[in-house]
This record gives sequence, C-alpha cells and structure tokens, in this order.
Amino acid sequence: MYLAAPSFIESLINFEPLRYALIAGICIGFIAPLTGSVVIIRRLSFIADTLSHFSLAGVTIGVFISKLISPAIININPIYMGVLFSIGGTFLIELLRSFYKNYKELSMTILLSFGVALSGLFIALTPGISTSYTTGLLFGSIMSVDKSDIFIILVTSALILIFAALFHRQIVSLCFDETYARISGINVRLLQFAITIILAVVISVFLDLVGVLLISALLIVPVSTSILIGNSFRQTIRTAIIFSEISIILGFYTSYKLSLPIGSTVALFNILILGIVMVFVRIRKSCAKKSEG
Amino acid sequence: MQVRVNNLSFAYTSKTILNDISFTLETGEFLSLVGKNGTGKSTLIKCLLKILKVPDGTVFYDNVDINTIKLFKNVGYVPQKVEFSYEFPITVSEILSSAYRKKKDEYYTKTINALGINPFYHDNINNLSGGQFQKVMIARALLNHPKLLILDEPTVGIDHESMLALYEILENLKQDRVSIIISTHDIDFSRELSDYFLELNEVGDYRIYR
Repeated sequence: MYLAAPSFIESLINFEPLRYALIAGICIGFIAPLTGSVVIIRRLSFIADTLSHFSLAGVTIGVFISKLISPAIININPIYMGVLFSIGGTFLIELLRSFYKNYKELSMTILLSFGVALSGLFIALTPGISTSYTTGLLFGSIMSVDKSDIFIILVTSALILIFAALFHRQIVSLCFDETYARISGINVRLLQFAITIILAVVISVFLDLVGVLLISALLIVPVSTSILIGNSFRQTIRTAIIFSEISIILGFYTSYKLSLPIGSTVALFNILILGIVMVFVRIRKSCAKKSEG
Repeated sequence: MQVRVNNLSFAYTSKTILNDISFTLETGEFLSLVGKNGTGKSTLIKCLLKILKVPDGTVFYDNVDINTIKLFKNVGYVPQKVEFSYEFPITVSEILSSAYRKKKDEYYTKTINALGINPFYHDNINNLSGGQFQKVMIARALLNHPKLLILDEPTVGIDHESMLALYEILENLKQDRVSIIISTHDIDFSRELSDYFLELNEVGDYRIYR
C-alpha cells in the first residue's frame, strides 16, 4: 500500500527536532540582522567570520571530549565550548593586535587559521564522526537542534533583545560617532566589549544550525540588502529582519524538501533577495535620471 | 565650568604643534581660538577633550585633572568633521534623540526650532547639505545642558540666518554661565561675545589678548 509522504506542516507537528529547528531559525532571523547592523557599522564583519571559525574549534573539541569521556563523568555541551572559544577568541584578537599594531587584520587571519586547524585535528581524532556530521558543521544541519539547544537559543535571544532595548540610545550614538559617544559620557570601551561578546555568543549559539561557513552571511547579507533601500536606522533594521525571516522560511522549507544543508539554502535565498533589490535600485535610479533629463 | 590649562605641549613626530600653552577660562567666560590653518586650534581642542593624549602639561575641569575623569558628562562638542559610517541610513531625529539623555521635552523642541532643523528633522543624514549637517551637530552639542561648550569651526558652511541663530544661542548660554571655547576663522562672529582671544602661530607659540 502506498503511503504518502507527510506534508511539511504534518512533519512540523509530529517531528520535534524539525519544530526546534524552525524556532531556532526564526530566532536567528531576528537576532542576526539586529547584531549584523552594528557589525557592519563598526566594521566588525571580518571579526564575525574569524570568531565563527574559532568557535568551530570549540565545538569540535567539545564533541571530542563528549565521545571520549562518559557523560556520567563530564557532560559537555559542545555549544558551551563553542561559546567559550568564541568569547576567548575576542580576547585573543586583542592580544594578537598588540603584537601587530600596523597590521591589525593579521590577528584575525592567524586566529581563523588556528581555529580551522584545531577543528580539522579534532574532527580527525574523534571516533565515529561521519561525513554528514562534518558537512553539517560547515554548512548547517536542520536536525542539529535539540531540546537543550532551543533553551539556550531562546534565552540568548531574549537577553540580546533586552540589551538592545535598554541600550539602544548608546548603541546608536556609538555607531554614528564614537568620539562624541565617548565625550558625552558613554562608556565606549565597555559598550564595545559588550557588543563583541554578544557577537561571539550569537555566532556560537547558532553555529550548529547554520554552519560555520555561513553564519556571518546571515549576519551581514540581510542588512547589506536593507541598506540599499532604507532611509533610517530603524527602518533598515526592520527591513533586514523581514528579509532575513523570508530567507529563513524559504531556506528551511527548501532544505527540508530537498534534503539540502540549511545554511546553504538560507544564505542563497538571502543572496537572491539582495540581487532582486539591487536590480530594483538600479532600475529606480535610471528611471529617476530619465525623468530629470 | 572652569578650565585650567598648564604648560600644555603637543607634537606630531618631530613637528611642534602646541608649545607650553597655559590659560584659565573661568566659569561663564568665552574664549575664541584664532590662528591660520594648521596652527593647532583643532589639536588644542582635541587635547582638551582627551581625543588626543597630552604628553606634556595638565588640563583641569573645575580643579579635576581630566586624566582622572573617565566620562565627560557636562561637555558639549561641535566637531569640525565627523567620522561616521557614510551610506548607512540614519536620520537627524535618530541622531539627536540618541544624543539626548531624557525623553523629548520642551527644551529639546526649542533647541531643534532655534536652529531651524524642523524642515529636515526626519531626513537621512547622508542627504543633508554641509550647513544642515553642521546645524545638527550644534543641536547635538546643546541638548544635554553642557557646562562647557567647545565648538570647532561651527560657522563653516552655514547660512547667515543660522549664524544669527547660533550667535543668539551662544549669547544666551553665556548669560547662563556656560563656559565656551570656539575655534573660528570668522573673528567678527565671536568678537562681541569673547572675553578674550588665544591666538596660535605656526611654531606652536601663542598670545592671549582681550
């Protein structure tokens, strides 16, 4: 007797990991553009990429330890290791920068290489690691989110939203004019530190779902798109969140239907939206020129 | 706010910009920094605001060494140039409301109106003219009731009407005992308001006169 494959909605209702993945996806669709807007203005885009690669080292070391040592003795959630490495990475970047005052970008390349090298090593050393697991680490996996992960994701998202609500005035001041923010009584150093830590946490918490190679795309691309059509800071972030959520939903559905890595599908829909907006902006510009002429 | 500068010197590599400068600005006084381009007016201002680290000399605000002050809460500053993230959309209203520590009130509205910012209050900062942008920077500096106001070439690029409005604002601030330091090429603008002038020359020396 032929059994029809369950519909997407049926799968969502009946299959817990899928529901968790969608919830996580919706959370990152909101949090990533919020964080990404500050990342772009503060020129931290390369740092985001570096931290994701270094966070991967933490995740792989966490997996290695959990496979080698019984959870009864030490129970390590690889996400926590990823968060630790991501936050540690921010300090290492500053340490390396103190050695390379005139070539500050070197610190990021060095840390990125270190992270990738450690990841490769511990993936090779960990018994029972499959190719699909490795692909999932790099490009994301729709099945990577479990109950404990969703708790971390929801708490992290809530804390970031609270932080943004409490300090949005200071963040906008810092983003627009760092010198004036310092003079006007804002503790720029502390705020900058907090922003970097938030970036590190966002990267490592969502790494499993989206993959190390594409997490920074989710931070950067929706905001890059909305900059082209935005007229205010708030409108830019709102539009970026909308674009991001559309990409998440479409990418999630495509990933589920075609069994493709979710990081890739979401990032590609982000790029597609960017391409459409770029065409729209170009057409609008040439129409405006024609009407002037 | 009293500003006391003792033996302040500053050099970029081997070139002396400021040479052993000392002066005291009492509360409510108005000081005009004058001199040709490149004589160190902006550098002196940046030293007063800790934007540049002062290797020699001391600066005191109300008898407190500025090196011990972590956060300036009572200082308003109008820069000559702002290094902001061009192309990223942000409106005048967003910049000003983020700079104002309280909820928008009568004082906020009065400041915006006085500088003629209303017509472009909701505009993207990237679309403003030089003069409009300067008005926004002046408004931003005034919003938090500064006790010391420092302006670096505030009249550059603004129209006559706005210059008159700025003059009136500075006059009122002086009456409210706000200390003011202004760097300007347009000596006629500040002549009537100034209690004294500090003139800098190309070798970092200075003279003070009333």
